[in-house]
Amino acid sequence: MPGANRDVREVVREEAVWRPRILAALAAGPMTVPEIAAAIDAPVHEVVFWVFGMRRYGWLAELKESESGGYFRYEPTGRVS
Amino acid sequence: MTDMTDMAVARDAAATSLDYDVLVVGAGIGGMESALKLGDMGYKVLLVEKEASVGGKMILLSKVFPTLDCASCISTPKMASTIHHANITPWTYAQVDKIRRTADGTFTATVTQKARHVDIDSCTGCQKCEMACTVAVPDQFNADLVGRRAAHLTFPQAVPKKAVIDRGGSSPCSFACPAGIQAHGYVSLIRSGLDEEAFRLVLDATPLVGTLGRACYAPCEGECTRGSLEGTLPIRRLKRFASDKHDASGKDNGLERPAPNGKRVAIVGSGPTGLTAAFQLAKLGYGVKVFEAAPVAGGFLTLGIPSYRLPEAVVARDIENVTGLGVEIAVNSMVSDPAALKADGFDAVLVATGTHRSQGLGVPGEDRLGVMGGTDFLRKMKLGQAIEVKGKKVVVVGGGNVAMDAARTARRLGASSVTVAYRRSRDEMPAHHVESADAEKEGVQFHLLVAPAEIVGNSAGAVAGLRCTQMRLGAPDASGRRSVEPVQGSSVTIDADLIIAAIGMMPDTSMFGGRVAVEKNGRLSSDKATCQTAVEHVFAAGDAVNGPTDITRSVGEGRKAAHQIDAWLNGREFDNWDDRLPVVDKQAVLARQKAFTLSAPTPDGTQLEPAPADFREIEAPLTEAEARRSSGRCIDCAVCSECGECVAACPVDGCIDLRSTAKTSDLKVGAVVVSTGFKLFPADLKPQYGYGKYQNVITAMQMDRLLAPTRPFNTVLRPGDGKVPDRIAYVLCTGSRDKQVDNPLCSRFCCMYSIKQNQLIMGALPLADVTVHYMDIRAPGKRYDEFYEQAKAMGANYVKGRVADITEKPDGNLLLKYEDIENGGAITESEYDLVVLAVGVQPNRDAEELFGVGELALDEWHYVNEPEEDMNPGQTNIPGVYVAGAASGAKDIADSIVHAGAAAAQVAAHLERTRPALPKIEMVPA
Ligand SMILES: Cc1cc2nc3c(=O)[nH]c(=O)nc-3n(C[C@H](O)[C@H](O)[C@H](O)COP(=O)(O)OP(=O)(O)OC[C@H]3O[C@@H](n4cnc5c(N)ncnc54)[C@H](O)[C@@H]3O)c2cc1C
Ligand code: SF4
Ligand code: SF4
Ligand code: SF4
Repeated sequence: MPGANRDVREVVREEAVWRPRILAALAAGPMTVPEIAAAIDAPVHEVVFWVFGMRRYGWLAELKESESGGYFRYEPTGRVS
Repeated sequence: MTDMTDMAVARDAAATSLDYDVLVVGAGIGGMESALKLGDMGYKVLLVEKEASVGGKMILLSKVFPTLDCASCISTPKMASTIHHANITPWTYAQVDKIRRTADGTFTATVTQKARHVDIDSCTGCQKCEMACTVAVPDQFNADLVGRRAAHLTFPQAVPKKAVIDRGGSSPCSFACPAGIQAHGYVSLIRSGLDEEAFRLVLDATPLVGTLGRACYAPCEGECTRGSLEGTLPIRRLKRFASDKHDASGKDNGLERPAPNGKRVAIVGSGPTGLTAAFQLAKLGYGVKVFEAAPVAGGFLTLGIPSYRLPEAVVARDIENVTGLGVEIAVNSMVSDPAALKADGFDAVLVATGTHRSQGLGVPGEDRLGVMGGTDFLRKMKLGQAIEVKGKKVVVVGGGNVAMDAARTARRLGASSVTVAYRRSRDEMPAHHVESADAEKEGVQFHLLVAPAEIVGNSAGAVAGLRCTQMRLGAPDASGRRSVEPVQGSSVTIDADLIIAAIGMMPDTSMFGGRVAVEKNGRLSSDKATCQTAVEHVFAAGDAVNGPTDITRSVGEGRKAAHQIDAWLNGREFDNWDDRLPVVDKQAVLARQKAFTLSAPTPDGTQLEPAPADFREIEAPLTEAEARRSSGRCIDCAVCSECGECVAACPVDGCIDLRSTAKTSDLKVGAVVVSTGFKLFPADLKPQYGYGKYQNVITAMQMDRLLAPTRPFNTVLRPGDGKVPDRIAYVLCTGSRDKQVDNPLCSRFCCMYSIKQNQLIMGALPLADVTVHYMDIRAPGKRYDEFYEQAKAMGANYVKGRVADITEKPDGNLLLKYEDIENGGAITESEYDLVVLAVGVQPNRDAEELFGVGELALDEWHYVNEPEEDMNPGQTNIPGVYVAGAASGAKDIADSIVHAGAAAAQVAAHLERTRPALPKIEMVPA
């Protein structure tokens, strides 16, 4: 997980760029943040910003049951644009 | 202190003219409490808050100690009472610029209401704008744990519950566009995958979307802030990308023909100025007819710019955007008397005839066969008229863009050689540097520092060469451009069969026969701002008035002319159609980030051949991936991009005005309460704790956000990877009682909020272990110690001893090295999932900025000083100025409220003392 930290402003700004890739990855089924990071080949701590930005604005939602290993899984809500 | 009796007399006249009895600066719990108490007493209060909602830090908290009441539940009623109180005028999103004491003991405050860009009366707080917005920035109200949008509600319980648009002015790219196109807007739309919306945003300004996507010289790119990092964004090509995508989609352009307004406008000339004006006027319901002398519409777009840069089909497609609105374009229709069109039923006429006449060289031999003007050459070629170029030696005179177009066209027509003869050096060439560089790559030769002296002919009277005088560069003139002077006696002849003179262009006014006023320089005469000529229903704009410019400037001229014609036809005053906000400061934009990750610019995509043989388009379009990647490099200079998505989404017409501006007023007030609160210690100043470096080291404010009902995540998760933490450590006194960071003070509430969070975490995550590393637990208030004992009983573990440092493991867990005083002081190491730094309090230095330098006295730690803290809490060194809440030192909520009440009482006493004989202004019972 450790890795160089980019400026938060820069990471947050890129949410829109990564959004289609995250949604494409989740088309295969709900995933945890580390699983999404692996699927889109991006740093996991940056994926946290994008996933929760997308959750805030209605693209993603968590599955209600908590997962083993302490990670929630997230799935698309159907918002398209 | 000042003699109050004397002052009361002096005040008699002044008091009646007060705008407000009291100005309260800062609407946290302290400011709201003082305002409410003063309002209840009947004083008129102006409450100024710099954020868009009242509430300060308290509204951002989860629960409060020791009652564990929900912070929002107890704050929001107070926030609502504050803004609805009959005696309180709340100005949120406003700032106090300066407060000056006047001779009569009252104060003049300069207050700026920042542009919110949302009408506070009609906004319903529905957040549709926020959902649609295309710009994301860190959410300061969630302690940067998640992004928010440029259009946003400060937080869900904001009071007033009104949106605000974060807009710092115009982004440099948009500001630089002479056509007034929101370049930043379409970049941010493309970044969001909204390509059709990007096309429509440009279409709103001009019908020439595909044209500008190819042939604009892109002044936006010259100003792009990213240019000072690794290179500008390909802003122009992004526009082309949107335009191509639209064309490929087969979608209509979304424009509907408006109902006719009964008026008609004639437009003379169908270049970018005329087409844009026609389009804009047609959208307003005018019946528009365009008269074009040439056999095709488009002006230089079709008769000048070679198709390897701008294919005819693209221009034709753009012109359909105009004709689709019902505009009639009559080609082969020369107008010789524009004013007379009135008799044909036109209420106004716009002359936009451009500069189609090439300037002559003015040297002997110019009348020889084989000499032609640059624009004539290009026009003939575009109209398919025969020009013998194949195998000929061509010399193009001039160093501008037309010269480059002519030279490169001659290469394509098979000239055996093409030489550009120019009187200065390459650096002074007016052609866009890309154009001259590309010309060179296509085999055009440059003969520099030569001025034509004579066109030499052969026995048949045809051109044989260009005799030139050699020139040399002199000193720079006032504009910095170097002058040239002839080298006496020098002469050089360049062999030529065809000479193209591209040294300048002029309007061709011959057809008007003096019926349109012309300036001495040969350009049409009209008012630069209104476009109106001496004949009031005739307007003139574009290159015909300004001399040769470029497409983008012409589009801007067309928009301006349409705006002013519409004003004139409706009897409105002419106004300034350019309502751009001032451009943001690029240095300030760059300073918002500590560092930038450099990302290589997309290669320019031009495919050049050393000997081009056809007119195929030379620039490749951006691929989808390139478009997303390069739009993703945009740093949102002005934050809001003006993409317009919020305006489209807002259900209230006219609620959002992206061009509104700030308002500043000077107000007279009788007293001031400074309640500007405190700041939190920046945790990265303790580098041994790794904040800002290790993702799972957070501050207590971040933890309060994670615990709040309006939290940024779905529960308490660690920001490094979204995991529910099992083992959580607290480091108390981070930045408090610490001489290393120059703060010997105790922050008073860090122990208590940590204990509160410990209890809440154990409630939210029953399996989590919580350990607190402390020096002393300070729990002196009523029920505070019991609260501490309760946390221990719930299972929180309290370890006495300083934390020496924190290191990160590869899995993101953290190793804490600490002193364990109660176990013999051994240095011990423990592993945690998440570490919370209980950061201390710092003074908010905004307070001193409110007054002149050194006027408001601060204590030795830079909090607002209370000279008689024990006997007269709330009083400052300035009579009439009081301090409330944490602005004078760390206080918890209960103490802030008590202190603010005391300050309110002091204000009331001051007001009564200083104007004993006067009625208060319009007392309204609370
Ligand atoms: C993590 C954390 C948890 C806490 N938990 C608790 C708790 O549980 N219980 C408790 O009692 N206390 C708690 N506190 C303390 C509590 O937050 C403070 O006591 C309280 O916010 C002080 O109120 P204030 O109005 O003085 O300042 P603030 O809340 O800081 O409000 C000041 C206001 O002034 C505005 N402002 C600043 N400068 C200007 C200017 N120049 N012009 C106009 N406006 C300006 C600011 O935007 C802000 O709205 C906690 C603090 C923190 C950091
Ligand atoms: S114009 Fe666009 S970027 Fe600006 S606030 Fe509206 S939606 Fe957001
Ligand atoms: S970085 Fe973006 S907003 Fe700033 S000038 Fe460049 S394109 Fe415009
Ligand atoms: S969409 Fe309009 S009404 Fe709704 S919050 Fe935004 S500005 Fe207000």
